[in-house]
Formats: sequence, C-alpha cells, structure tokens
Amino acid sequence: MLGPAGGVDVADDTTLVARLLDGEESAFEQVVAGLYPAMFAVARGYVRTRSVAEEVVQEAWLGVLKGLEGFEGRAKLSTWVLQIVANIARDRAVREARSLPFSSLELDDAEPVVEPERFRGADEPYPGGWRSFPTDWRTLPEERLLARETLDLVDRAIKELPEVQRTVITLRDVTGCSAAEVCELLEISEGNQRVLLHRARARVRARLERHFDG
Amino acid sequence: MADSRRVEHGYACEEVVQLASEYLEGAMTPEQMTRFELHLNLCDGCSSFLEQIRTTAELATSLSVEQIPDEMKTKLLAAFRDWKGE
Repeated sequence: MLGPAGGVDVADDTTLVARLLDGEESAFEQVVAGLYPAMFAVARGYVRTRSVAEEVVQEAWLGVLKGLEGFEGRAKLSTWVLQIVANIARDRAVREARSLPFSSLELDDAEPVVEPERFRGADEPYPGGWRSFPTDWRTLPEERLLARETLDLVDRAIKELPEVQRTVITLRDVTGCSAAEVCELLEISEGNQRVLLHRARARVRARLERHFDG
Repeated sequence: MADSRRVEHGYACEEVVQLASEYLEGAMTPEQMTRFELHLNLCDGCSSFLEQIRTTAELATSLSVEQIPDEMKTKLLAAFRDWKGE
C-alpha cells in the first residue's frame, strides 16, 4: 500500500484483499487507517469543504467494497483505492458546478519561490546572488528542529497554502505518495506536479525561516 | 564584468532556488545536474537553501497524518459489515 505513512508493502496487497473479502475487521482497520489521510487529501483537492470531502470518502469506500472482488492486483491497492476517490471527487466537483481545480490550472511563472529582494540586482556585483545567505539549519539543535512548536507551524503553514499546492504537498510529503501516483490522481503533468510541490515547500520553508531566524 | 558569477557557476543563486525540487526529484538532465552541483559546491548560501527545502519536506513527512475521525470510521465500518452481510 502506501509507502511511509501506510507502512504496508505492495506484496501484501493480495493477502490484504483476501482478508477484506473474508470480512476480517483487522484488515479493514489496516486499510482504512493507512489510506484515510491520502483518500481525504485527494477528495479535498477537488471539493470545496471538509464535509463534502468526507462524503466523497464514504462514497468511495462503498465503491471499493463493490469492486473488491474484481481487484486483480494489476495496480497497487492504494493506487486503485485513491483512483476511485479521485473519480468520485471529480464527478462531485462537476455536479457542484465547480471548475476542476487541477484542469484549469494555469501556473503563473512569475511566482518567485524566494522574495526577489533577497538577491542582488542586475547592476550590482554578482547579479542574482544572495544578499545574505540563508542560515544553515544543520547547526540547529535537534530538539529545536523537531519541537512540537515547529511541527505545529509546518502543519498550519500547509493548511494555509493555496488549495492545489496543499493537495500536492500533502500527498507527496505528508502521506508519502509517489510523484507518478500524484500526477495520475490529479491528472497533472510531471512538470506541473514538481512546480506545485516546490512552491508549496518553498512557502513552508519561508515560514520556518522566519520562525528559526526570529 | 557584471555577469561573472553566472558564467563561473553556471547558474545564479536566483535560478538555483527555483530549481531545487527539480534537483531533489531527480528531474534534471545530467548536464543541468553537473551545473547545479558545481554551483552548490561553491555557494554556501544555496547549499543551505537546498538543505532547508530538504528539511521542510522531512518535517512534513514527520507530521502525524490526518487521523480518521471516529464518526467516519464507524460509518465506514458499518458499510463494511453491511457489505459482508449481503
């Protein structure tokens, strides 16, 4: 299933499906607890509110159960489940008469990942070079880096990102989906996926920088 | 020679910060990667920036993921039991 967050191997998928088909509730626990974060993130990428996203997850779960007997293990179980969520979320977004956030995606090339004032101008020595270097976080004590306060700040910063960036960083960095999975689920190109991921990370980095540098 | 840094290091710092995730994601051509790494070797500011982006991604990974709300879990489990009972 999912990598870091799901903590289950692809090889286990067949066994897991067989256990689900047997009605084993421990298999249910494993699948639902492991995949819920990614299911929710995918749904939330398409629909307006948390409550609609939760409805999408519920509907998708019924779809998963319905299709389970036909699951042939050609795709990973996680990919297959998330694909069902994406399809339902997309239909729902259309019904809500909402333009699909990722299909109407127009990346503004001008969005800088670091404020332009941080770099030297064209008429200065070393144009495009740092005015002052970012600090080296490797010198921070680990207890500061991994403090609850730091993690809360990262969490808040992610929640405040523009929707499409939030969805991509949540799927990639928080729940551990691969780049290829994210492109397929959100129907975006690899290039756009990387741009969104980078902008999201850069915005969160800027918040952390303000926090650490004070 | 105003543009000496750009010529010498291949990329300006301003460009390196835009390309950091391309690099971390292994999406560069070998030629871009050589230029990028050459710059990193010579520029402490960009090395720190890259490390900051990497740390940001790691911190996001160590966030506890959105837990399934109890109410939702109860609903999904009920659907599972119904499905099994059919």
